[in-house]
Amino acid sequence: MLRSDQIMSTVEMVHKENLDVRTVTMGINLLDCRQGTAEETCSRVEEKIAKTAENFVGTCNAVALRYGIPVVNKRISVTPAALVGAGFDKEEFVMLAKSLDRAAEKAGVDILGGFTAHVEKGMTVTDRALIDSIPEALAVTERLCASINVGSSQKGINMDAVAMMGKTVKALAEQTADRGGFGAAKFVVFCNQPGDNPFMAGAIHGVEEADVVLNVGVSGPGVIARSLEKTIKNRGRENLGLDDIAEVIKQITFRVTRCGELIGRQVARDLNVEFGVVDLSLAPTPKVGDSVGEILQILGVDDVGAPGSTAIVALLNDAVKKGGIFASKTVGGLSGAFIPVMEDAVLADAVGKGALTIEKLEAMTCVCSVGLDMVPIPGEVDADTISAIIADEMALGMINNKTTAVRLIPVPGKTVGEMVSFGGLFGESPIMEVRNINKSKRFVAWGGRIPAPIHSFKN
Amino acid sequence: MSKQFVISVMSKDRPGIIADITGVILGLGGDLADLNQSVLGGYFTMILIAEFNDNVTPEDVFAGFSHIDSDTRIDANIMKMDIDLEIEKGKLPKETFVVTAQATNRKGLVKIMGDFFYSRNINVLDLVTTIEKKCYTMIFQVDLTGIDSMETLRNEIEELSLRENLDLVLQHYDIFKATHEVGTPVAEITT
Repeated sequence: MLRSDQIMSTVEMVHKENLDVRTVTMGINLLDCRQGTAEETCSRVEEKIAKTAENFVGTCNAVALRYGIPVVNKRISVTPAALVGAGFDKEEFVMLAKSLDRAAEKAGVDILGGFTAHVEKGMTVTDRALIDSIPEALAVTERLCASINVGSSQKGINMDAVAMMGKTVKALAEQTADRGGFGAAKFVVFCNQPGDNPFMAGAIHGVEEADVVLNVGVSGPGVIARSLEKTIKNRGRENLGLDDIAEVIKQITFRVTRCGELIGRQVARDLNVEFGVVDLSLAPTPKVGDSVGEILQILGVDDVGAPGSTAIVALLNDAVKKGGIFASKTVGGLSGAFIPVMEDAVLADAVGKGALTIEKLEAMTCVCSVGLDMVPIPGEVDADTISAIIADEMALGMINNKTTAVRLIPVPGKTVGEMVSFGGLFGESPIMEVRNINKSKRFVAWGGRIPAPIHSFKN
Repeated sequence: MSKQFVISVMSKDRPGIIADITGVILGLGGDLADLNQSVLGGYFTMILIAEFNDNVTPEDVFAGFSHIDSDTRIDANIMKMDIDLEIEKGKLPKETFVVTAQATNRKGLVKIMGDFFYSRNINVLDLVTTIEKKCYTMIFQVDLTGIDSMETLRNEIEELSLRENLDLVLQHYDIFKATHEVGTPVAEITT
């Protein structure tokens, strides 16, 4: 029998602290869509997504209405396109991109992920064709997201691919210059990309997955921020230590995760598909009160980026994992705290004040997921510098056995301090300074591979 | 043959009431089944179900309570159950929801909610109310099996909330189970 105080605390969490389910993402296997020609394959891809996801959005909405917990985003991830389109040339991959975009629109989802290749050890001709097609594919589509995995703890980092990534990011931004380089916001470079991540832009349906799987991303950082404020007010700051703070985060994450899993499992059951994982990541939105940066401020740094920020993120990330893992039967995806600059109003504000630099962001990504995310940089930054930044971030992931990613947006025609806004969930921020540009050309030119670290040899 | 009685008891609270009541039941050969007890405003209340041999009558139980040696009077009601205990002990209905209602205390708050549920043929399974610092809180457990549309009900609750200046929240009971029952796997909670 539940007690009244337990009921009221949950009511408060859902309604006053704005608990929601951040994303329910349906992963769809497309390997069986392969036909004799690119046209036939694209047609089969559209048919399969349309049929599989026919009731997806409606079911999510019905479950959200029944339980009284909003499902903010409904999305689709698919098998990496490089596998579905093996043998395609660049034009045929653009055709596939358009098909995926149409399929997403028909299904009623705002984003579809999986225009992807895994090239951490080597690139096939197909992989190269897909990478070459990315600038055009993302410029001519609305809903499609692309990702390339260039490194892993087991295989090392493919520096030939990393060199291509800098050029791809630049070309993407330039092809979408009329939208502030928005195309680059739909493209992410990974080390150790998981196959069950529900969050965009890097969601894919891994080849190790079942035919159709539902993955869920739990509520955002706002619930934790409000819970910490309440605890500090009720118990008094002088009576709390950071171990108490970690405990509060753990407890609230447990409850948040249970809600996410409940909604996800109910949607999966109603759709008669397999439930995959709960991703414990705290994903902020530009909305006031829904910021990871705000949690850092509550816990004692005046601006994100000030000394202490990395330690706080480490505490936060660890407590979220401890609470979430106990709550859920199956945890996966990225499962950490995101620090996407443009999508988090407090982080963007810290950039404007000069408190948060790319170097500090990089340090913070050592202790949290997922990497340099939604970072707007001057349009003049050269492709090799971007590749070198990617290489640094990939090295963090490879050595630390964790997922890291880079989503940089070199905003055409704009420079440090100028604002860039993509609206909605993509947010806005002043453009960040990139120091030491044009100094990494010789490093990027090496190519080849950075070998996998010694601790990867465990067989 | 045996039969089941529903027994409700009320008395000014004091140590020993449970011992006295259950002593009478045991003395008559009764076997306790479900029991609910609480203390409200200094008054002890208890409702219980007990099984007796066929020759025991409600009057026998009542007489037993009357003979309890105490300064505080015990008021009791005893009825023979006319439905099977096993049916009564079934799980909560699948569509059990919790409605919480909060407002600055004033007369008639529970009636507003009671009328709202009654006019929609919604059965209230459980109700707990508390008052703290002039804030009156009502927690209703309701069975929504018979409603036509969840969307309509949510809209009507929102209208009621605005009209009566009530802070109303409707949530499925499973949410509370998920967030507070550590030992229950979520996969078993979904319906």
